[in-house]
Amino acid sequence: MRNRMTRRSVLRGGLATSAAALLSGLPAGKLLAQEPEKPTEIIVRAWGGDWVQALKAGVSDRFTEMTGIAVRHDLTEDNEIQPKVWAAVAQNRIPPIHVNWDTTTNATKSALRGVTVDLSDLPNLANTTDLAKPVGVDGYPIVNTYGYVYVLAYRPEAFPDGAPKSWRDLLDPRLKGRIALYNDGIGFHFPAQVAGGGSLDDIPDNMDACWEFVKEIKAQQPLLGEDPDFTTWFQNGEIDAACTISTNALAAKKNGIDIAWTVPEEGCKFDTDGLWIPKGLPENELYWAKQYINLALTQESQQIWLDGLGLPGVVPGLTPPAGLAGDPSYPTKPADFEHLIRISNAVQVQNESDWFSKFKEIMQG
Amino acid sequence: MTRTPDQDSFRYPLVWRLLDGLNTAADVLWPRKMARFTGWLLLAPALLLVGILVISLVQIAESSLHVLDRSTFMPGEDYTLANYATIADSATYARVLWRSLLGAALTVVFTLLLALPYSYVMVRTTSALTRKALLIVLFLPFFIGQVVRAYGILIVMGRSGAVNDILGLVGIEPLRLLFNFPAVVFGLVQYMLPFAVLMLAPALTAIPREIEAAANSLGANWIRTFRHIVIPMAKPGLVGAGLVVGTLSLTDFAMPAMLGGGSQDFIANAIYDQFFRTADQGLGSALALILVALGSVIVGVIIAFFGAGTLGMGGKK
Repeated sequence: MRNRMTRRSVLRGGLATSAAALLSGLPAGKLLAQEPEKPTEIIVRAWGGDWVQALKAGVSDRFTEMTGIAVRHDLTEDNEIQPKVWAAVAQNRIPPIHVNWDTTTNATKSALRGVTVDLSDLPNLANTTDLAKPVGVDGYPIVNTYGYVYVLAYRPEAFPDGAPKSWRDLLDPRLKGRIALYNDGIGFHFPAQVAGGGSLDDIPDNMDACWEFVKEIKAQQPLLGEDPDFTTWFQNGEIDAACTISTNALAAKKNGIDIAWTVPEEGCKFDTDGLWIPKGLPENELYWAKQYINLALTQESQQIWLDGLGLPGVVPGLTPPAGLAGDPSYPTKPADFEHLIRISNAVQVQNESDWFSKFKEIMQG
Repeated sequence: MTRTPDQDSFRYPLVWRLLDGLNTAADVLWPRKMARFTGWLLLAPALLLVGILVISLVQIAESSLHVLDRSTFMPGEDYTLANYATIADSATYARVLWRSLLGAALTVVFTLLLALPYSYVMVRTTSALTRKALLIVLFLPFFIGQVVRAYGILIVMGRSGAVNDILGLVGIEPLRLLFNFPAVVFGLVQYMLPFAVLMLAPALTAIPREIEAAANSLGANWIRTFRHIVIPMAKPGLVGAGLVVGTLSLTDFAMPAMLGGGSQDFIANAIYDQFFRTADQGLGSALALILVALGSVIVGVIIAFFGAGTLGMGGKK
């Protein structure tokens, strides 16, 4: 039997050797005489604030320390970088970033469009849980790196009787003008389907219950914004409750805002983010971009990175950050997922635009 | 032929030599027989810019005729008007279009109401100090930018901002002053005021003081003078300022996004959503073309009825 030498097997071998170097803490250059030329820097798109700080501490700084390659963080919004990357690939230009830190749904769109590099040959994928594997696409055009929950964050001062138990508690007249949602409703559609009396099994074919509940919420005159808005609004006393990613609530708490979060009885949406590489990079830069993602899948990087985000990772054996063990926003065991809603990315990718439009239609009225 | 002492002592200046050189070079590059095309040459850079705009509009128009294929997130192959049909059938876009038009109209009215007296005082004041102070107040916001100004409004008019603090002094509970339609219009007026003043000031300067003095001497008080002399004669400035403020407001993105609390979108916000939130470039392009068409029709109608004002540079219409 002959072993055929393919481009993929060579790359896999190189990555494995380099990963060994990265994991051992030794400068990779000392171990790899044949490693590709190092670029002076790689560019990683990231979300700002506490998000990028966590990535920097957990992955980027370690990558620079181990390889000598600087990491520049591009804080362009994920939705805004997407058309730029798509255009670059379509026009055979070098894409503006090396690694995209993206929501899995957005990344899946890019994968379907064919602009992502397959990452199946990353050696450290062998150490990851099922959460790392994107659903509904072939191979690993994206590697999921952690999960997160769209919790109901609230100011305890505004809920003297204890945490809200249901999303319907947001309909209390005293909360009129005091609640906030994402401006496309992301994170809220699925719990709204349950709170409106519908079934998750009806998603996406019949979401009337969701839209009825959204209409009820609309009457409460919610504020609609993005991640940084929630922190600002909590800080300025503009809102008492919000459907937001637990990381934002945690960041607000770290900033000294009295804030707590809960998973109401209808459940909360659970989703994932991931890392991917756009097509069109020079071979050597592609190699080092892969090394970056490979490093992000090591236990030590995941521990530091996700300590900063307060989120569960895709590598077994991580220690929950202080205060988050057993927290509903930090699911690790199957039982923890019972109250969390996870809809396949394939369904989300196909229907998200319609959901956003319907949500806008109600909220812009 | 003998040379006079004056000719002997005259030294041809270096600057003249340089100018002669430039003249010669210009003659080589643009011969005198091409002189009748010099106007077009001067227009060329502007035409190039407009040409790029036209090309991009053609591409946007082409893009608007393709529907997004969600299995590949690429535009479909077929040419179709489906994106326009989607917009026509959507109550959301109708509301957003109406809100944009109403917001732009209100902004024009309020901005002109504020800009006219401001410009008048700035032009007519005999105090150099007052004029300079008004100019500084006018120009300072230009150095700040729209987003920062909107953020400033968020701070000042927020629940714990200065305005609510002052209201609190007279016993009024904190009010929600932001994240509604009036807040967006307020932000736009605040943003547009300097543009309007700059458009109005030359028109007011062109009104001879003697005409106002004549009206006064014939018994008109300042209100009648203002109404029957100043406003009619300032019409070119009012029309020009109205056109600039109206078109900028109609296409504004930042104020509705920042002061509207997510529920007061203008067309530009809807276009952004399609391009950057749902990756539907076809629908976004269709919306963009509708915005261009709407703005062009409105401007065309206004120019047809009132002329181009100061934008006409002295032309009748």
